Order: sequence, then structure tokens, then C-alpha cells
Amino acid sequence: MTMVWTGMRGISAVPSYVVMQPTTLCNLDCSYCYLPFRSTDHRMPVEVAAAVAESAEAYARAGRFSVVWHGGEPLAAGRDHLAALFAPFGPGIEHHVQTNATLIDDAWCEFFAEHDVRVSVSVDGPAERNGERLTRAGRPAYDRIIRGVGVLRRHGIPFSALCVVGDPRPGVADDLYAYFLDLGCEVLGINVEELEGVNTRTNGHAAAEVTAFWSELVAAWRRDPRIHLREVEWSLRYVAAVLDDTADELLPRSLDPIPTVAHDGSVVLLSPELAGFHDPRYGDFASGNVLSTPLAEILAGAAETPWIAEFVRGVEACRATCPYFGFCGGAHAANRYFEHGRFDVTETDHCRNSKIRLLEGVLDHARDHQPTAV
Amino acid sequence: MPEIISPPLSEDARTDPVTARVHDARAGLAALIAEAEAARRQRSESTPEDGGSAVCAWNHFENIPTFYNWNNRPR
Repeated sequence: MTMVWTGMRGISAVPSYVVMQPTTLCNLDCSYCYLPFRSTDHRMPVEVAAAVAESAEAYARAGRFSVVWHGGEPLAAGRDHLAALFAPFGPGIEHHVQTNATLIDDAWCEFFAEHDVRVSVSVDGPAERNGERLTRAGRPAYDRIIRGVGVLRRHGIPFSALCVVGDPRPGVADDLYAYFLDLGCEVLGINVEELEGVNTRTNGHAAAEVTAFWSELVAAWRRDPRIHLREVEWSLRYVAAVLDDTADELLPRSLDPIPTVAHDGSVVLLSPELAGFHDPRYGDFASGNVLSTPLAEILAGAAETPWIAEFVRGVEACRATCPYFGFCGGAHAANRYFEHGRFDVTETDHCRNSKIRLLEGVLDHARDHQPTAV
Repeated sequence: MPEIISPPLSEDARTDPVTARVHDARAGLAALIAEAEAARRQRSESTPEDGGSAVCAWNHFENIPTFYNWNNRPR
């Protein structure tokens, strides 16, 4: 019998953050990237940021609220333009950037400090594991990434790291974790590569290999847990709640709408990866444009977007059929669409690689490391 | 149904299989959870029960948006 989980019912009208695309341009050309327009520089006008800021002020008064400057490469928009986009937002709003770090220099570090920007760097491990990260000229980008990280460290700016893993298998996790300890990041997230957007490479892997990867990562982390490792923290939070019989309180009551505001003001909810795509059945996935409709109004009408209604049915299908729902909260919208072509399906390779096998890896580790009675 | 069919299931048939698996690994998990809590304190993080007095509250990391929206997040 599967437990009836009560969280993740419908879409919340209040987001905890908004993703903003200051430019579509990225100065790198990573082979696994899902973004379709990363070679062109479509910049976000200040009017778009101002429109978002109007709604954001109310969200920030109600609780913690963040703006994530994503991309393209957000720093490719330039400091002056990014400062102009920041300007409409009040002091109660946190700013975050997800950057490839290649453009970071002293001036950017001063910008981060001045605007209290939280920095997260995309780096996939040591040089030999960054072979997919290429400059526009097709050369390895690793040296430029590390040079930027070095500048961050020299300025004492704490940073997180996001690592894409294309080959989750035993033997990989040990080396990766050791690398990130040395890199000096405070927080680490592991993204198993996904079939998304214009990246059409398959992400199916042998179950035992992926589970063993996660199990090995837990063991590596346990030997030196200096880094806040996202996947371990989430897993332990869930299992602790299960053991305390409070697991049903863990999932949010409703899904965060995660509005992504594209450079032109169009708003795509739930999955930033859908922005910029078009489907004969679903159109452009947009729920509106902040230049013509307040963000709060777009969010209030989210369920009227046909693909979102279909997605909500998909979440209910996950709830009804998957024993991992209490841990996962339902397959992500972009993974459903890019793997299955619709939103009311359930299990995806992303579910298997990044949720199911993660939890199984943690449980395997715990099973194999039971305290011994003395 | 995902691969939960492969691991041995708990004798407690009233519980869903994932919950049962967690309970079956209770001893190992309890040690791991305790170590994780100690590690958070070392990192100056804290749980909400600590009143958020530490340098970084536990939910600081919950709200790193590039990381912590579990129902999806930017990559």
C-alpha cells in the first residue's frame, strides 16, 4: 500500500524566487546545454526587471524572496546592464547568479560584494571531466573557469558549485567529492545529465551503477562533511522525517510556480528549461508577459495554461502510483516533456537517476554501515 | 512501479515499501543523521529548532534557488 501524501497539491500563487534571463547569450558552448538561443545576445530591457520588481516587493514582504540571474551566462550581460536590471528591486530581495565563472574578475567581485550577490559556479570537476565545457572557439574552458574561481577565492567570496555528471557510476564520486573539497565551495549540487531542450543525448544508465555512484558519494562526504552536499542533505532530511513519522509534512503544500522571466518579459512557469521552446500542442509554454500583465496576475491564472493543467494531473498520477513521491514530490515538468512528449506521464530517467537511485544509494550506504554492537 | 521491487521488503506490509526500507535501515541511518547534524554545526548551520541564531540558518540553504527547489530547479 502506498502512503497518501498530502503535499504538492496544485500550484502556489506565491513563488519563493523568480528566474531572470538578463541575456540569452553564453560565452561558452557546452555540448550538453539545453538552451536554444545561447549564441545570440538578446538582452532584457530594464522595463522587464521593473515589472517583475513591482510584484516581487509584495513577495519579499511576505517572506524571503530571491531573484536568480540565470542565462545564457548572466555575466555576459555586463556589469552596467546587470546593475540597471538590479536597480528596480528593493533591498529586501536577494540576488543570486548561476555563472560559468569565466568572466569573473576583480571588478565582478566588487560588484558581487556591493550588491550582496550569492554566487553559484557551474563546474563539472577536474579538467578531464570538463571536456563538454567548451569556448565558442571549441577549446576547453576549464582553465578560464578555474581562473574565475580563483578570483572569487582571493576576494573571500563564498560560492556554491553545480556539477553535471554524465557518467554516474562507481569510482566517479570519490574523485569528484575530493575535487570539490579542494575547490573550496561551501555548497555542492550534483546534476546527473538530463535529456532536455536541445540536448538530446540519452540519460538512461544501469540502475546498479547509478545507485552505487550515490552510495559512494555518501561515503566520501561522510569522511569529510565540510561541504553542504545538496543530495545528501535532502535525503537525510527525508529519512529523518520518515523515522520521526513526520514525513508527510516535508513536501511543500503546493508546488512552487518557479516563474522564469525570459529576456523579452515572457513568463514560463515550473521549468525554466521550457523557455524558448514551441510545441504544436502546447504553443510556447508561456503563461503571459510581465510587460502586459503583472506577474502576480499571471501566477494567479497559472492553471489556465493548458500544459500546466496537464502537468498537475501528472503530479497526481505520480502521487497515486510512485512509492517515492514523499521524497520527490513528482517528476519535473521539463523532464516529462523532453523525455515523453507530454506532462501527464509519471516516471522519467531524471526521476530514476536523481531521485530514486539517490535515495536507494543512501539506504544502501546505511544498510552497509550499521553501527556494530560492542 | 520503480525499482523498489528489487530490494528486500520489510515484513510490515501495512507500510509503503520505501518507508519500510527506511525503517529497515534505521540503525545505519540514525548514525548518519547524527553525523550530518554535527557537520552542520561545524559549518555554522543550524536546524530551525536552534532558533536560527547560527551564522547560516538551515533554511538558508533551502533557499539557494539554484539548488533547493526540489520540485524543480534551474540547472
